[in-house]
Amino acid sequence: MNPDMLMIHYGELSTKGDNRKLFVNQLARNIRHALKSFPTLKVEASRDHAYVELHEEDASSVIARLQDVSGIHSISIVFKSDKNLDHIKNFAVELLSKETGKTFKVNVKRADKSFPMSSYELACALGDYCLDHTAFTVDVHHPDVNLDVDVREEAAYLSCHDFLGAGGYPLGMNGKCLTLLSGGIDSPVAAYLLLRRGIRIECIHFAAPPYTSDAVIDKLKDILKILNTYQEDIKLNVVPFTELQLAIYKNVDEPYCITIMRRMMFRIAEGLAKKEHCLAIATGESVGQVASQTLPSMIAINDVTNFPVLRPMCTMDKLDSIALAEKIGTYPISIRPYEDCCTIFKPKAPKTKPQIHDCEFFESKFDWKPLVEKCIAEVKSYLLVDGEEKVFPEENKPIENK
Amino acid sequence: MIYFDNAATTSTLKGAEEIFIRENREDFANPHSAHAFGRTASKKLEDAREEILEDLHLEKTHSLIFTSGATESNNLALKGLPLHYQKRGKRIITSAVEHPSVLNALKELIPFGFDIVILPVTSEGKVDPETLKNAMTNETILVSIMAVNNEVGAINDIASLAKIVHAFPKAYFHVDATQAMTKLAFNYGDADLLSFSGHKFGAFKGSGALIYKKSIAFESINAGGEQEQGFRAGTVNMPGNVAMAYALHEGLKNLKTHEQSVRLLHDYLQQNLAQMEGVSMNSPQDALPYVLNFSLTKKKASVVVEALSENEIYVSTVSACSSEEPVSYVLEAMGKSEGDARNSIRLSFSADNTLDEGKRFVEVFSTIMMGVQDR
Repeated sequence: MNPDMLMIHYGELSTKGDNRKLFVNQLARNIRHALKSFPTLKVEASRDHAYVELHEEDASSVIARLQDVSGIHSISIVFKSDKNLDHIKNFAVELLSKETGKTFKVNVKRADKSFPMSSYELACALGDYCLDHTAFTVDVHHPDVNLDVDVREEAAYLSCHDFLGAGGYPLGMNGKCLTLLSGGIDSPVAAYLLLRRGIRIECIHFAAPPYTSDAVIDKLKDILKILNTYQEDIKLNVVPFTELQLAIYKNVDEPYCITIMRRMMFRIAEGLAKKEHCLAIATGESVGQVASQTLPSMIAINDVTNFPVLRPMCTMDKLDSIALAEKIGTYPISIRPYEDCCTIFKPKAPKTKPQIHDCEFFESKFDWKPLVEKCIAEVKSYLLVDGEEKVFPEENKPIENK
Repeated sequence: MIYFDNAATTSTLKGAEEIFIRENREDFANPHSAHAFGRTASKKLEDAREEILEDLHLEKTHSLIFTSGATESNNLALKGLPLHYQKRGKRIITSAVEHPSVLNALKELIPFGFDIVILPVTSEGKVDPETLKNAMTNETILVSIMAVNNEVGAINDIASLAKIVHAFPKAYFHVDATQAMTKLAFNYGDADLLSFSGHKFGAFKGSGALIYKKSIAFESINAGGEQEQGFRAGTVNMPGNVAMAYALHEGLKNLKTHEQSVRLLHDYLQQNLAQMEGVSMNSPQDALPYVLNFSLTKKKASVVVEALSENEIYVSTVSACSSEEPVSYVLEAMGKSEGDARNSIRLSFSADNTLDEGKRFVEVFSTIMMGVQDR
């Protein structure tokens, strides 16, 4: 017996009022995109659920694909029956007897009010019949198997298998966020969490050749190819940071170098975010993890921008982060031995409680503004689409050194 | 582009490429096949085997097994021979600066009860024959010492070392000649076993050989068919090996003239680099001119190498950007400081390199040294 369709339960859309339609439409588009490798599938989205008609496609591979789509709470495998009570009963027994467990519960929804029995009566009748014809017993509080029956105009739908989705909101509903990508473990996970929440991402990376290797860029591309699973096209902006970084290390006392460097990075990120129509900046920072991620550091660093700075990883331990990175598949790439920051630039005793006025004092010692602007102007961009690098359109080509 | 990483691998000789393509097109049969087509391929392979042995003047005394390269040859020699002769003794002697394919292969013998003795080297990276003499015992069945060190180009006195080993009738002498072939003339017959790779002298990656004295037996470590006298199962890379025989022949023929032109470049670079602030020479004065190793006393080698790479100048370093940087065990064994051992750069040449490239290198290198932050 092959399942006929998948029923998709929406995520947190129930809190949406008049915008609900927009969300549902966006989600339907995203689902169709995610399933484009299965041409025979038919996707239909209504106010409450979306349905995927399987047409003999393998349900498990379709579900696996849907589990990467943000905005889906869960996915159920659904079997279709006509509305003859005996047929529904037999169907229910057949489905239930394939499940493992000891207890079950029948949940009935009756959208078709012309059906002769009430929801409660149908639930009782089915429960009774299954009790007699399977080894299962009833437990209405903590059942091992939930048998859901949905009686609609056209047919009755039965299901007893749910798969959790990614949750969050449909991608694209929340605008775009410029994500700082270092190549370490945390920043790709931060990007993933944003994507799962439905936030489109664009990435910014600060490269300091020759102190950092070109291989880091390849590493980032490989990470983004994995994140392409959640967002079809991701742009990577690489900032030539060496000149500014050297200027910082020339003019700033060593303990403050990292703080000032992060302030400059945020300034550049804000400039680029405006240019690229991003509405927020995101980082992989976790509170307290390193000197620049303490709360006092965050105040000092955040002081340079009015943009919202999202820190999806802020409460996560390193082990949580590693577990998530392993789950999404970015971990083995992140631990490749190319560092985003050379040990030359790692101060021995970075300030953990930097003061804003001290930052301003150090920054007054050199003319950093043109350097920041130059960084923004000379960004080199790459585009990753569906796991492959695409050549950028001519007009977006990086500006050569003036 | 300036390619100064020839000790890692070389480009292929045009003649070798032609042979490789021709043999793959015309005589692609499996040399082990019984039909006439297979026999043609087999004939080519045997001719190549004979040619290599003749070029090395070993046709009377030695046999040759084609391998995928020196790493395989070293593993075959250093595991296969001790396993066969372990009843005679279990002591094996090597040096601290051997290639990892020697040191790690021998390490794998320790659980089998073998005693691996690692000799120190002099500050010039060589094995002092006296040190070897003192380490030799009647229990010793194998000594493995490289002809030329891959990191610094230090040349070992193979003739003297061989004499010491051969004073002990149970002991065999293995020489890893990977960096020496076509670059250093020595009496190849001093070695009971000799390893090398084709891709270090203009042949293809995936070709190599282990040459061994006809009287020696060892265990095969690669189970399968009966190819290569039963010592190395797997379909033989006939085109690659024929190309290697050609490249070796050419290399040996031109050894003197190539050495002269490389020495010109080497000496120019050595003189200019030695004068530079923050550079400390590691290669000994009498090293093979094909290799020039130096350390940066103030800069990070990985950063300088990355900067050179940006300028399309390709050289080698063990250094890396990360905090857990690898250290050159060769330089450590030579008694260099930790800073030097972490920040060495190796230039390695071929006869294709020119003095102009050397001049350009010095120019770019000094600019980088001025621009790059101290470590």
